[in-house]
Amino acid sequence: MAAKKTSIPHHVMVIDTNRCVGCWSCAIACKQVNNEPLGYFWNRVLTTAPNQSTTAKAPASNNMDVPWGTYPDCELAYLPVACQQCNDAPCVKVCPVQATFRRDDGTVLIDYNRCIGCRYCMAACPYGVRIFNWGDSNYAPGGVVGYGKEYSTEDRLVFTPERPKGVVEKCTFCVERIDVGELPFCVEACPLGARIFGDLNDPDSQVSKLVNNGGGEQLHPELGTDPNVYYLPVARRVPGES
Amino acid sequence: MATTTAAIPVRATRSYRPIWAWYAALVVLMAWGLAAWIDELRYGLAATGMRDVVSWGMYIFTFAFFIGLSAGGLIMASSAEVFGIKALKPLSRLGVLSAAACVAVAALMIIPDLGQPFRVGNIFIHPNWTSPLIWDILIITVYFVFSIVDLYVLQRHAAEPSRWKTVARVMAYVGLPTAILLHSVTAWIFGLQIARSWWNTSLMAPLFVVSAVLSGTALVTLLALCAQRFGKVELSQETRKWLRGFIVISLFVDLFFVGADYITVLWGNVPADRSALNLVLPGGPWAWLFWIEWIVGGVIPLAFLLVPRLKKMPGALGLAAFLVIVGVYAFRIELVVLGFVNPLTQFPPGNAVGTYNVQTSSFQLIGRYHPTWVELGIVIGLVALFAALITIGYRALHVMEPSPAAGHRHARMPAETKASS
Ligand code: SF4
Ligand code: SF4
Repeated sequence: MAAKKTSIPHHVMVIDTNRCVGCWSCAIACKQVNNEPLGYFWNRVLTTAPNQSTTAKAPASNNMDVPWGTYPDCELAYLPVACQQCNDAPCVKVCPVQATFRRDDGTVLIDYNRCIGCRYCMAACPYGVRIFNWGDSNYAPGGVVGYGKEYSTEDRLVFTPERPKGVVEKCTFCVERIDVGELPFCVEACPLGARIFGDLNDPDSQVSKLVNNGGGEQLHPELGTDPNVYYLPVARRVPGES
Repeated sequence: MATTTAAIPVRATRSYRPIWAWYAALVVLMAWGLAAWIDELRYGLAATGMRDVVSWGMYIFTFAFFIGLSAGGLIMASSAEVFGIKALKPLSRLGVLSAAACVAVAALMIIPDLGQPFRVGNIFIHPNWTSPLIWDILIITVYFVFSIVDLYVLQRHAAEPSRWKTVARVMAYVGLPTAILLHSVTAWIFGLQIARSWWNTSLMAPLFVVSAVLSGTALVTLLALCAQRFGKVELSQETRKWLRGFIVISLFVDLFFVGADYITVLWGNVPADRSALNLVLPGGPWAWLFWIEWIVGGVIPLAFLLVPRLKKMPGALGLAAFLVIVGVYAFRIELVVLGFVNPLTQFPPGNAVGTYNVQTSSFQLIGRYHPTWVELGIVIGLVALFAALITIGYRALHVMEPSPAAGHRHARMPAETKASS
């Protein structure tokens, strides 16, 4: 176990909701690096109120960027949501053909050559982050091609430059980047440093400190999916207080 | 086939020609379904009305519906034997035939739902035993093989009752739990999912079993009434009484279960559960399902089955059976679609839809779903296939016994019975 700890990292992402301003840079960066066509969002930024991690009450509005509460007592916060890379992932459990699988580093990936497109995983994912490629991709003219190569890990094809028709996809934690020591592209793109990525097995890493002592919370912890994405709550509620 | 019709001189000319018109109509509908499927293969599932928020649609709720329909036949055939209900024995083979046809059509219904239909073999190469879907495919296969074997056994039993009696009895005892297992496992595809609070109830399996008994009995009733209308068989009053009883009791239990679930959600008032239920209660956008389920498929059929004046009307039983089937179909729509319409995380702008349209947002907070012509075409084609299987099976196997009152000893063709009695 000790030997395993040093050799295999445990990848986690921490999102500081106190820093997030809802600019959607991460969502757009995700679209670019993964060449997601029009209408596809593997990563999206939800409008919420501070410390509203689950749906305890109805949102303020059906439109984004609308603050909660009545003027002048308004509150606004953002919740960027992509695949939570669950350790006990419902999508892995329900996939009838083991196309969705979990690597030892915690990333949940999809084998594009094996998926039969039954979409059971979409029904099972509590976070609504899985995207199915319904038809031929509809790309914006001159859209960025991003990583642009195929990528396989454990002998399974987990990324292709164009979105393959008829299979389910989702955030891969940028597996092709983290495997060569780079950061996921959304982490690089966030202008406010709200996204922190690292190895939870390393007690000195920033993510370890934030998860263990910094108050990192999982989304829908009551479901027992044990995500590898943690959120730092908005600590202060009164504007102006540091 | 030809001998059957030829053996009854009076009706021969009348029943011969319509049957070919019937077959021709079915072939046209099946061809339409096939054309729709080819269209879907070309454009992918983009040709359907499903998108990322409501990602299962008509194929899946029709699949669940046909799985339900397949119950009644086998449960009826088995309980006729297990509980010794003589009046239902004449319907045994018709019931098992409809069970086999329904489950075959249900299995086929899954194929067009797949994004990669030609990889369906992966299910057998790389099965994942934690997936309820794998267990469902397993039990569907077992159930299909079982009903084919059962049909053969009942066929032999009808010809030589003394030799096949024990085998038929054993099959009946095995059939009952198999049918209940099939519906439970299908229910667990939905009921085990923590992501959808609308589905995640332990009531799901019992609810599936009872609505399966309900719709399946109604289907066998309809088929038997068709056989009476177009064939040369007579349903005895006793048989009708049992069918009516089966439908009434299972309809009451079904409505009771659904109502109990509503009460639990309404009283608990948990936001995620409430927002799903509000969609279907009167006033919500899906309230038409509520009315079909409770009025069209609930109160009206109960009136036609229980109120003495209405009960005596000709066609009351058939009408009630038909309405019950409509009601159960509405329930299947409600079950599958509403699980998706209301995602667990309810923050704007919602979930990405997966298509781009200049006028509308690429996100939906509350999912929308309308089946397209491709989906309707494929489903109608498969329903036509079901009708064809039943017609061919009925005519080739003579599954209905001419005179129910006579019990299972007189089998075979009407002409023979007439000659012997
Ligand atoms: S967030 Fe959804 S898709 Fe991602 S691992 Fe968890 S269940 Fe699977
Ligand atoms: S759509 Fe693909 S990844 Fe999802 S459950 Fe089906 S086979 Fe598995």
